[in-house]
Amino acid sequence: MENSTEAVLIRPSDKVLIYHLRDVVRTREAEGTGFRLRVPSLQIAMGEKIALIGHSGCGKSTLLDMLAFILQPTESGAFRFRPERSDEPIDIAAYWDKSRQNHLGDLRKKYIGYVMQTGGLVPYLTVRDNISLSRNLLQMTNNDKAVEELAGHLGIRRHLDKYPSALSTGERQRVAIGRALAHRPSIVIADEPTASLDPIAAEKIMNLFIELVDELNITVIVASHAWRHIKKLGLRQLSHRTQRTSDGKLTETVVTG
Amino acid sequence: MAHFSEALRLSGKDYLREWRISGSFIVALAAVLGPMMVLFGLKFGVIGGMVVELVQDPRNREVLSLGNGHYNLQWIEKMGQRPDVAFVVPRTRRIAADIQLSNKGSSRIVNVELVPSGPGDPLLQGIGNTPTGADQIVLSELAAEKLMVKTGDTIDGSISRMFRGKAERQHLDLKIIVVAPAAVFNREGAFVSVELLQAVEDFRDGRKVPSLGWDGTESGGERVYPGFRLYAKTIYDVAGLQKDLTAQGLQVRTRADDIAVVQDMDRNLTLVFWVIAVIGLAGFALSLGASLLANVDRKRRELSVLRLVGFHTGDIVLFPVVQSILTGLVGWLLASGIFFGVSFAINKMFADQLEVGQSVCRLLPEHFIVALVLTITAAVIAAMLGGLSASRIEPSEGLREI
Repeated sequence: MENSTEAVLIRPSDKVLIYHLRDVVRTREAEGTGFRLRVPSLQIAMGEKIALIGHSGCGKSTLLDMLAFILQPTESGAFRFRPERSDEPIDIAAYWDKSRQNHLGDLRKKYIGYVMQTGGLVPYLTVRDNISLSRNLLQMTNNDKAVEELAGHLGIRRHLDKYPSALSTGERQRVAIGRALAHRPSIVIADEPTASLDPIAAEKIMNLFIELVDELNITVIVASHAWRHIKKLGLRQLSHRTQRTSDGKLTETVVTG
Repeated sequence: MAHFSEALRLSGKDYLREWRISGSFIVALAAVLGPMMVLFGLKFGVIGGMVVELVQDPRNREVLSLGNGHYNLQWIEKMGQRPDVAFVVPRTRRIAADIQLSNKGSSRIVNVELVPSGPGDPLLQGIGNTPTGADQIVLSELAAEKLMVKTGDTIDGSISRMFRGKAERQHLDLKIIVVAPAAVFNREGAFVSVELLQAVEDFRDGRKVPSLGWDGTESGGERVYPGFRLYAKTIYDVAGLQKDLTAQGLQVRTRADDIAVVQDMDRNLTLVFWVIAVIGLAGFALSLGASLLANVDRKRRELSVLRLVGFHTGDIVLFPVVQSILTGLVGWLLASGIFFGVSFAINKMFADQLEVGQSVCRLLPEHFIVALVLTITAAVIAAMLGGLSASRIEPSEGLREI
């Protein structure tokens, strides 16, 4: 790990918060009924493994989108991101205020890996090129070796020169995980990464995913509606409750953790 | 820079991977551009050939005075100084402008008409010399054949008159400085200096010519010429000259009308061509633009995935632009290929009716460049809507199936 020397200098009890959110709200108005996600306080420490469990429509995706800087919070008391121990926290709310979308894109490119429910692969790139996409953008070196090693772990080495269309859904998800991890991000966000797979394959790939993240010491946030086997992997669950506001106009989900 | 080159690489890969769609647009472009290039090549070859012929043949620049006028040397010289006049010499009376030539070695005698000439005579351009003095002539091919003489020979010229009741004849040694081909003058004639023509006229009129030792009466007053040989600087000056001279009350004949016909045809066909070209290219640009826009819509998810991994807005806009330019470039290459094939076939078809080196259908290198620039411009304009649409793609669009 790059930060290992610095990690020695910092006492283990010093928790470095990769995400620090306070009073972050996202409201979506719709005909008749609206929806609101409220995060009074959320702190995610570097190296933590977080699970976000809940049925669809409860606001999981809204939270993940905000954490990946692709959805602007309606209000935010504080929204800080600290991808490196050695760096000062970055004020994401300020970036949003100034519409610095490309800056947010640069942060995402360097520090965030994203695994989506299905697809998300570039169809005209081979598996190899898909996995090394972020590495190429970041002008990292030794890409071939890194990609092959990762593909080996994911069991897709023999597919490296195929196009995504030639792969099964499960294999594609493995490639998606590979792409999210290839550039050694600080955090990986996965939105129901195994929801489209059969239970056996889903469990297998989820295990592999968490194993890899553990090995690479990457912080992870996984959204899922299946708690059963997530629990076995030792993830910390964010608590949330959904309620109707007193005036009855809004469905509100409150997340804390 | 990494973004830019990656975006270039990816849009190229996308373009190649969808070679069926890319190929159709390349062929569609070539189907518009190729025939247009052939059409313009034909216009340029045929009309251009006619214009070149017009420009090259000095006879098209001739302004011929009709009837008998009265022009003094001062007027002639003033005409010669005009910027739109290339050459002018005075003509003497036609009735006094002939001479009897005979080859000293044989008994052949030919009567030829004398044409006034001098330095810069457009008719004699490219064949060497122009006659000066009273002892040089440029003989027409027809006359030279009859006399059986060639360049460098000296022949005898003789003129006769009735003077004070008796016939007189004078002889002159004339050196043939060059024989003018039939293309220049297709009658029996000779180009001579104005000086010689004036001497011949004076002799016929019974006046004396001191420079040649011919006796006669004193010459009377200022010389007046009945006409002139005048050539405009370019064919484009002919109409103006004709207008000026007619305004002075002169009767002249020119080929201005023929020139105007070719020029009008050139102008009108150019206009027609551009109308077709603009309609064709605009139609192509519209269809390409619509397809690029549809492409961006179709690939929204893929493009938003790229936004998600950190590509900037500008990088995404590059996709339709790069692919449109690729279509333009390859389509232009294909159209050029079509042009070469078709023009080769057309020129072969007409080969019998053409002189060596002439072609019915041809384009200059700069025409290809112009076609490329126009095509790329149309392609970039076509990509604008797609680019605008691409710039609005949000990274979140790729996350979930809708």
